[in-house]
Amino acid sequence: MKCYVCAKDGRSTDAVAICIVCGMGTCMEHTIRQEMDVWEGGYPFPAHKIDTTIPRMLCPDCAAALREE
Amino acid sequence: MVSLARRCCAEITGTFLLVFFGAGAAAMTLMIARGTIPATPFNVGIGALGGLADWLAIGLAFGFALMASIYALGRISGAHLNPAVTIALWITGRFPSSDTGAYIVSQLIGGALASLIFAACAGMDAVSIGGLGATAPFPGITYGQAILAEAVGTFILMLAIMGAAVDERAPAGIAGIAIGLTLAGVITTTGNIAGASLNPARTFGPYLGDWLLGGANLWGYFPIYIIGPILGAVVAAYVYDYLWK
Repeated sequence: MKCYVCAKDGRSTDAVAICIVCGMGTCMEHTIRQEMDVWEGGYPFPAHKIDTTIPRMLCPDCAAALREE
Repeated sequence: MVSLARRCCAEITGTFLLVFFGAGAAAMTLMIARGTIPATPFNVGIGALGGLADWLAIGLAFGFALMASIYALGRISGAHLNPAVTIALWITGRFPSSDTGAYIVSQLIGGALASLIFAACAGMDAVSIGGLGATAPFPGITYGQAILAEAVGTFILMLAIMGAAVDERAPAGIAGIAIGLTLAGVITTTGNIAGASLNPARTFGPYLGDWLLGGANLWGYFPIYIIGPILGAVVAAYVYDYLWK
């Protein structure tokens, strides 16, 4: 699979990730990695954020859209 | 995890909802039933209108309030809303000693605020006729029987909490419905024995409100609603742990 963003610019670059929102293949340059907080617990114990985070891969468009939410 | 102060605020809010709507429903039933002639001496007003349906209505008021509180506040404080639950979780090593006292005080404050504000909303008839929904042994029920009924009722409630919420294998999201309906069921069945408090904070609020506002002085019965619920909850927690080992 090739990077869709690079393909739009007329370049052919191998994709290394797929955006979890739109499914777009992205190369290393256009992949945005976000760390998601993980919460543990809840009734009958207070929920607390654990040290470990879960990564998710996004394309630049989806990352920008999520930032605007 | 949010700060202890905020968790205590959540416990106050949740216990307030439980006592305002649950005990308020009991008080309102007595106010509506005023003037009816009870069919048996065992009937003090709740049951005069619809028999066991009166208790079902009160039980559902408690159950819905508990369910809403669990879903709204469960992630913040754990939504214990009941000193017996907090003590059972503490004794079995699931809840820190440092937070236990603050939780219990918060629950008592929430219960007291609920009763006082219910009296402000419904008027003094809620105190003189409804007793603010205070619990007491019904005619013919001894002190020991009342403690036993409270212990058995809280045992069932705590067992449901252990199975539906504490146990990590429990399906996600069902705790509020399961535990709310369990509380409603227990109140429907055992309400006419000793009021089915199952919760020292739920009894503390109406007792304090009645006492402060010139209603009945029921403090002599308070040990029933301390010993019974705590005993039942602690035994349930240990029994659940034993059954799974």
